[in-house]
Amino acid sequence: MYLHSGDPIVLKATDINLSFGKIKVLNNVSLEVRQSEVLSVIGPNGAGKTSLMNCLSGFYRPQSGRVEFQGQEITGVPIHKRAALGIARTFQGIQLFPHMSVLGNVMAGRHVRMRTNCLQSFSYWPWVQREEVAHREVVEEIIDFLDMEFIRDSIVGELGYGLRKRVDLGRALALEPSLLIMDEPMAGMNVEEKEDMARFILDIQEYRKIPVILVEHDMEVVMDISNRVAVLEWGHMIAAGEPREIRVNPKVINAYLGED
Amino acid sequence: MTVSDAESRKIAVDTIPKCLRQGAGRWGDRVYMRQKDLGIWQRYSWNDVYDQVRAVSMGLMRLGLKRGESVAIIGENTPELFWADFGILCAGGKMVCLYPDMTPDEMLYILQHAEAVFLIAEDQEQVDKYLEIRGQSLDIRKVIYWDDRGMWQYADDVLMAFKDLQELGRRHHAEHPILFEENIDAGRASDIAMLSYTSGTTGVPKGVVLTHNYLLDNAYRVLRANSLKPFTQYLSYLSPAWVTEHFFMSIGLLLPFIYNFPEEPETVLSNIREIGAEALVFGPRQWESLAATVQFKMNAAGLLRRKIYAAGLKVGMKIARERTVRERAGWGWHLLHPLAERLVLGPIRDNLGLKKTYFALTGGAPAAPEIFNFFHALGVKLRNVYGSTEMGLYTQHMGDQFDPATMGRWYLAPKEIGPPLEWRIDDDGGLLIRGGSGFAGYYKEPEATRKAQKDGWFITGDAIRMLDNGELVFLDRVKDLKRLSTGHLFPPQYIEMRLRFSPYIKDAMAIGDENKDFVAAFVIIDAENVGQWAERANITYTSFADLSQKTEVCTLIQQEVDRLNRLLDKASQVKRFVNLFKELDPDEAELTRTRKLRRGLLEKRYKSLIDAIYAGLETFETEVTVRYRDGRQGVMKMFARINTAVQGDE
Repeated sequence: MYLHSGDPIVLKATDINLSFGKIKVLNNVSLEVRQSEVLSVIGPNGAGKTSLMNCLSGFYRPQSGRVEFQGQEITGVPIHKRAALGIARTFQGIQLFPHMSVLGNVMAGRHVRMRTNCLQSFSYWPWVQREEVAHREVVEEIIDFLDMEFIRDSIVGELGYGLRKRVDLGRALALEPSLLIMDEPMAGMNVEEKEDMARFILDIQEYRKIPVILVEHDMEVVMDISNRVAVLEWGHMIAAGEPREIRVNPKVINAYLGED
Repeated sequence: MTVSDAESRKIAVDTIPKCLRQGAGRWGDRVYMRQKDLGIWQRYSWNDVYDQVRAVSMGLMRLGLKRGESVAIIGENTPELFWADFGILCAGGKMVCLYPDMTPDEMLYILQHAEAVFLIAEDQEQVDKYLEIRGQSLDIRKVIYWDDRGMWQYADDVLMAFKDLQELGRRHHAEHPILFEENIDAGRASDIAMLSYTSGTTGVPKGVVLTHNYLLDNAYRVLRANSLKPFTQYLSYLSPAWVTEHFFMSIGLLLPFIYNFPEEPETVLSNIREIGAEALVFGPRQWESLAATVQFKMNAAGLLRRKIYAAGLKVGMKIARERTVRERAGWGWHLLHPLAERLVLGPIRDNLGLKKTYFALTGGAPAAPEIFNFFHALGVKLRNVYGSTEMGLYTQHMGDQFDPATMGRWYLAPKEIGPPLEWRIDDDGGLLIRGGSGFAGYYKEPEATRKAQKDGWFITGDAIRMLDNGELVFLDRVKDLKRLSTGHLFPPQYIEMRLRFSPYIKDAMAIGDENKDFVAAFVIIDAENVGQWAERANITYTSFADLSQKTEVCTLIQQEVDRLNRLLDKASQVKRFVNLFKELDPDEAELTRTRKLRRGLLEKRYKSLIDAIYAGLETFETEVTVRYRDGRQGVMKMFARINTAVQGDE
């Protein structure tokens, strides 16, 4: 059982409001993520899950509300700075460089951590070489962690869907994030790929000690691997709690099954 | 083997740990093991390995391992597995290596039977298997794992990380600096090094007792039969649970090898290329998959490239056959060979990573001649090796000239280790062997041990035949042989398998039992390949039934039958054969769904044809009922030519 007393809060979103024109997408949504948990955000299509993730990672800027990361307010901080702070995410659709190798894609995730500039890299000074080796080591550890040795030099565009998702995760991990946001990592996967991905998410939490926010539709996976679940419906947070509480929550059942 | 014989030998290094120590002394800082980790081939010198082994060995000692106790290892080929292996042997323990895909129940049986006191397991998967069976009268003191992936949340006193074991061992060594060396000195050639559990297709697995003497005996058999270069790049891929990998581990200690481990089982093909493997030992399936990758890529190539490829391979094949079966190739082929080498053969070898491979073995199961021919055409001298866990390696293709259909010539057991290898064929057609380091028995199974021997000979249970040129042909398991009315035993499965190896033959059934005085066969031609052949030869035909009975096709199949007959003793040769006029069909229950012959049914259905064969008729006509796909039945007139493959005498 998950006990969150004493577990520090990593990310805290308070009263987030987001609207596009007259459409209110998020309505006073509050959320907190603790250091050692996998928090799942679920909800019917159009509930605002991805919008909420975009607010957390900085793609959208909410009209009102406050996002704090490791005690620091980041509401107005742009995406690339959030990445440098340690917020990484994977995407619902695959957003990789399809013509680059797996290694290249994961290395790209190291970009925010690289110090040398373009000109220095071009001349390849010894310290640039040293830096590259150091980054490569981090990347190789991730390749090992995600069992991607056999596709290390493959071109991403030639890989199957499940593997590309894994590469996407690898690139996010290359940031050495302090928080990982995963937007539907298992959509469109077969059972085996889902199992692998679930295993990786648990490993990320257990071994790498990175808190994970997971947006996912597959209820079985969500209930199995989450410490807490938050439920969105039409931009409102209607419930939050441990999986076994959520399973029996009448509001949630109503939202999903549409009972009156 | 008698103990006194083995101990009286004047060889300084008579155990595996002593070989390791000698190696560390001779080659100290040179590379011994390499494994790709984090994208880089990490190296371990002889000194590194010796240090790691010592740490494991002393760690196990510290945890209470006593001389003669068993330690089980389960995992894929990694340096850690071999460090553990050596570590156990250095401490005087018995090593039991388990297949990584073993079920918990199988694991339980072997751990109990071998009385294992430690389990060294690769990862979470293997540890979980143990945790499932723990508490079932097992005497496991600690389970040590070397891949800590997924193990972070396990808090159990029985578990210990490999690194922690080594740390413990290093401290123990600091306190007892000569204990490790004393342990090595205490080892005797006749000590049990390993219990190798045979897969046991029938009944429960048996643990074959393997001594240090046995391992070294086999290592020397290979070393003396082949000229291997010191520091040969070897790729460790055979499962360590199979004793063969341990022969090569032992050879690696003596020659030495540079022992390379693949990064992951899935990356073997690219790893072969990266290390430029010089010695490769695979099962036929791996060789097939290597060949298949080439075929697969060539199928996707353009027409011109495909033509060049086919031409190059043809030239390679001609030259190879001259070498292997002494089939003279004309000087024209010799002139073309350098070009083929340049354009096709060399580049393919390079692509597969076989450019430097000079020692290639296949064993464990018969490999198809196409596979042999393919690699020989490329210039990779693929060799068969044959043996058993109980008695070690028997034969191997040696030198340059050999036949893909044989298992090669007998090894010589080193004189220092035991009497020469001797063989004879028993009344039931089975191979009996004695000599070398001998058979040390099945662990704790005196009854089975007794049954496996006969007047000092080991009963292999294999039916073989020796050709006049000294090469061995493996036929069948003795229990699968069938008896003719003359009392002669013949190998039906071997006949069928060899016929099936022909591209023109899809299926075959050997006929012959206690009511028949010679062997006959049904052949089902491969419609596609024979059809193409017929087209090239300008032979017109209408249907399968028509094609199969063409005299030219009968002659073609006759050649295949002749080729088979050359490998068989006279009484086992296929005297008459019939090309069946229809393909066998699982829908008509003639084959199982996995395409195995339904013999009983076939013998009944084609009884009149079989009778005709044995009545000595030349042709045969019949009416068969045919069931159409829509359920209707019809009657068709069928004609078959009965071919006499071997003329004259019985």
